[in-house]
Amino acid sequence: MSWIRERELSLLERLTANILKAGPMPKHVAFIMDGNRRFAEKTHVERQEGHSQGFEKLAETLRWCLNLGIHEVTVYAFSIENFKRSKEEVDGLMELARQKFNRLLTEQENLEKHGVCIRVLGDLTLLPTDLQQLIAKSVVATKAHNKCFLNVCFAYTSRHEIANAVKEMAWGVEQGLIKSSDVSEVLLSECLYSSNSPNPDLLIRTSGEVRLSDFLLWQTSYSCLVFQSVLWPEYSFWNLCEAVLQYQLSYRSLQKARDLHREDQALQQMEADRSCVAELLQHRGNGKPMDAQSRQKELLNYTASREERVRCFLNALQHKRDTFFSDLSSQAVVA
Amino acid sequence: MFSSFSSNCRVNVTTDPRPAVRMTRKRVSRPIRELHVTQQRVQSGKVGRKKKWQPARCGVGSNQNDKFLDRPPLARTQSMALLYEMVWRFLHALLYVQRTLVAWFRVHIWRWKRAVVGLLLPLALGFHNPKKTGPIGKRTSRRIRFGAEGRTLEKLPLHVGLLITEEEIHFTDIANLVVWCMAVGISYVSVYDNQGVFRRNNSRLMEEILKQQQELLGMDSSKYSVEFMKNGTDKQEHQVLSCQSMVKVLSPDDGRLSIVQAAQQLCRDVEQREKTSKDINVTVLDSLLRESKNIPDPDLVLKFGPVESTLGFLPWHIRLTEIISMPSHVDVSYDDLFGALQRYAVCEQRLGK
Repeated sequence: MSWIRERELSLLERLTANILKAGPMPKHVAFIMDGNRRFAEKTHVERQEGHSQGFEKLAETLRWCLNLGIHEVTVYAFSIENFKRSKEEVDGLMELARQKFNRLLTEQENLEKHGVCIRVLGDLTLLPTDLQQLIAKSVVATKAHNKCFLNVCFAYTSRHEIANAVKEMAWGVEQGLIKSSDVSEVLLSECLYSSNSPNPDLLIRTSGEVRLSDFLLWQTSYSCLVFQSVLWPEYSFWNLCEAVLQYQLSYRSLQKARDLHREDQALQQMEADRSCVAELLQHRGNGKPMDAQSRQKELLNYTASREERVRCFLNALQHKRDTFFSDLSSQAVVA
Repeated sequence: MFSSFSSNCRVNVTTDPRPAVRMTRKRVSRPIRELHVTQQRVQSGKVGRKKKWQPARCGVGSNQNDKFLDRPPLARTQSMALLYEMVWRFLHALLYVQRTLVAWFRVHIWRWKRAVVGLLLPLALGFHNPKKTGPIGKRTSRRIRFGAEGRTLEKLPLHVGLLITEEEIHFTDIANLVVWCMAVGISYVSVYDNQGVFRRNNSRLMEEILKQQQELLGMDSSKYSVEFMKNGTDKQEHQVLSCQSMVKVLSPDDGRLSIVQAAQQLCRDVEQREKTSKDINVTVLDSLLRESKNIPDPDLVLKFGPVESTLGFLPWHIRLTEIISMPSHVDVSYDDLFGALQRYAVCEQRLGK
């Protein structure tokens, strides 16, 4: 079945959507789609069928999000920890992924109509090669779309993502693009797989579990977390509205906390720049003390050069990632 | 509350590139064509030129500002928008009232319960126990009770984090929680708030904890070690004879900032050619982060307050942590805490399998 359901909301649903939209709405929602296997057990079907139904529910949820004005959705499809499952189940999930990505490639027109950009986050090298190529093709095919964004976390854990970001920064240092003193919170955020997205405003986990399970740990520090006991294949529009309402209730406190954090971040960056400049001047120093004005000028120069270095590094990183996908994609064409 | 919400609503509306119009019911029956209008398209006047493509706010209908003059009168759509906003405000007012009432009832019922128990307990003891149970005896029996109850749970967390999201902090209640956790048998307790209040007042917190230990358990204060987290190296460790529990005070600096500092360290090693970028992985980063904070990952985080967020609490360490919400830390009772521990005891961690 299709990646986005073409289904209208009922009158009552439309009314509720309009009422909710009178308040602050999340722009980016993350879902941990938990409960497929329990649903399969409950309804006495195969586990594979449970996962399949889970995918159908994803398509429906995407439609609801679009109706509610939520243009960016991130979903936790497959964790690196899930490789521990039985070979049968893992192979089943890989096969499901193959089917869905193949389907995606046949739905180009539909996706273009809705302007859906699909991104896949995670360590794709852990997946079978043919799936990697399929994923790369899908990502490259929808890259130019910019109306709404679906980020699928596949072969992903947050710790891997953070460690990978640190690795990329170390690569930047190795290449001489940045210095170790340029490493900051902002730079680390830019090196994550999710660097092209803003942080999620709302994270929803279904099936009643109340943990994050290594999902977007860095990005959800100031997000609204909503844990719902409904199983994922049974998720409804009203569950989504409930989560959005919860977000609206916490909105003010979260804004405040985020602003406070941003201020702290800016202060820390300034302090770091100052100490770097002080060190620099000491090394360069000819014994003469500098007056405040020239110190300020040095600071501005340093900040500008740091930002330039960082910009070049991030461009190089983006290029590296784009090349990875386009190479895989062209391999697929050849094969 | 309403004014700030309405200002938020206004912000929401003004950032929308189209004027403040909402869908009318008439419009929503149209098939969903397009989902989003970017500012560029509006400004370049491309909006609505093609018959096929109609910008819609969120697919709930379509709403074009160039076909605006053809639409029903402005007044009607504006009044619909106003109506939705009023319903929204009413809904939030109801929720606010409900929350306040629930909080009020919770506090007052707890106080009433405590008062009744305070009155009846001495009477009960008087009937059943001719021996005079002095304050020390009572405390010792409570300590034994806490410990025994802790052992009845299927599993007890090794490390509990107390995450306070409320702005006004009552140190006595926090101290109570810490002491109860230690009495039940939890080895590590962390205390966190996102404004760094605990970090700034750690001596006050320590005093309160020692005081409550004395009052609630009658424990010799030297039996517990209270260690406070500082960035980088641990300081102010009070050496004790036998340490059964450890209390740590955390702030946002211990979260993202410490990850950044670890990253800087690794990059410096790479700069000095002691490592290569290929050597960096989860294990390396994890061991570096554990160097400065020698405690296990939190198994359970008790979040107090209405804000549904971790507010920057140790992002790296909470990957498998159960997050249980409690309404407030003010006048929190032992039963509340025990209830949360019972919930933790029955949760099942599949670890990906």
